[in-house]
Amino acid sequence: MNLRDKPVLREKLAAEYVLGTLKGGARRRFEGYLHGDAALRRTTAEWQDRLVPLAEFARSQPPHRRVWAGIERRLGLRPAAPAWQFWRSDAPHAWRPLALASSVVALVLAGLLATQSLQTPQHDYLATLTDDKAQPALVLAADRDKQLLTVRVVGGADVPADKSLQLWAVPKAGAPRSLGLVDPNGDVKLALGRAIGDDVALLAVSLEPKGGSRDPNGPSGPILYKGNWVRTL
Amino acid sequence: MALHRSHSQHTDKVIVPDTSIPDPQQLRAWLAGAARRDAPAFRALYDATSPKLFGFALRILNRRDLAEDVLQESFVAIWNNAGNYQGHLAAPMTWMTTIVRNKAFDALRRADQATEIDGEPFAADVANALHDPAATPIEALQLSRDAKALAHCMSALEGLHRQVVGLAFFHDLSHSEVAAQMALPIGTVKTWIRRSLEKLKLCLAQQERP
Repeated sequence: MNLRDKPVLREKLAAEYVLGTLKGGARRRFEGYLHGDAALRRTTAEWQDRLVPLAEFARSQPPHRRVWAGIERRLGLRPAAPAWQFWRSDAPHAWRPLALASSVVALVLAGLLATQSLQTPQHDYLATLTDDKAQPALVLAADRDKQLLTVRVVGGADVPADKSLQLWAVPKAGAPRSLGLVDPNGDVKLALGRAIGDDVALLAVSLEPKGGSRDPNGPSGPILYKGNWVRTL
Repeated sequence: MALHRSHSQHTDKVIVPDTSIPDPQQLRAWLAGAARRDAPAFRALYDATSPKLFGFALRILNRRDLAEDVLQESFVAIWNNAGNYQGHLAAPMTWMTTIVRNKAFDALRRADQATEIDGEPFAADVANALHDPAATPIEALQLSRDAKALAHCMSALEGLHRQVVGLAFFHDLSHSEVAAQMALPIGTVKTWIRRSLEKLKLCLAQQERP
């Protein structure tokens, strides 16, 4: 079906997509149209701006402080207290060079994703894999239409010549699934396979002997980067 | 630094009160900060928005533990994807709320339990204002400008139509599930939703004009 010259239907589908009543196959088809149709994405974004403020009609409630503590732990942020030290300009900041370096990375990342979404519109899943200091190292974009997974190492990884980087989808139960080898200096396109799914708990990159892990059941080397999918839209 | 004003007190106790409606420009600045890996800006963003977002997740899930997990996952995603936020496409609060909503619906499906759906998806004061704006003025509600405009337009809908829209939005229901919940024919629900959405669009467009 061609949606392009059906303004009323486009409007109705976008609205019901955002409201949530568009379900199942119709919802998936609509997401398919979104990939190749910038105007439809705009219409959908407009409906999001219209309807999503409904969320505010629920009663506001401050979350328990353990929620922030968990976020801080997972992202490796510095503890918040004593808070004033973070922006006292006269205090020495060991973290400043780090923050500066990562802001460059973040800019590259933003640029990359913006370009990608122009060329191959609307990846429906994105993931940023970070190192143990929560610095972004890899960007993954999944295109379910083409069943392709694009992996980019941000800023280049320092991998010895006799080693490879291997990407894994780690399920909640059972052995990690290899998604393929990652080029430490550029882009690589992999088959999407079973990279996305309800059972995927984590995406991870391990350092392996050249050609990948000899162990069919999972990584044999250390995990360097990890992260998870975020559904866009 | 004005940007981090909410941190000038001891942070453990800082909970931005409901009375502060985050200004979209300020939220944008904090999001840009998060994209630059500026942890204090991210904390300020959390302080300003988490009560609203948590209240929303709790409304969907009806369970505090699940709502806390969802809020945590959402802010991890917000930090990791702040550089990917496209300001020209969505307001910052819309972008963050959509992340929370998707994660809450995922959690709902994972929990695989029949969540309790009560009739009224809105907070009591909001419901009162929607029902009778003359008695409970919408202007007095603790809502952002966008949400107040939407509240005005929602109050112009018939009560049952409003209910149907609210049920669908907060509980991830299909037409037939809404119909079952409200004991209405599915055709009626479809028509009401279509008309309500058309009216809301028209009404919101009029509100934007001075």
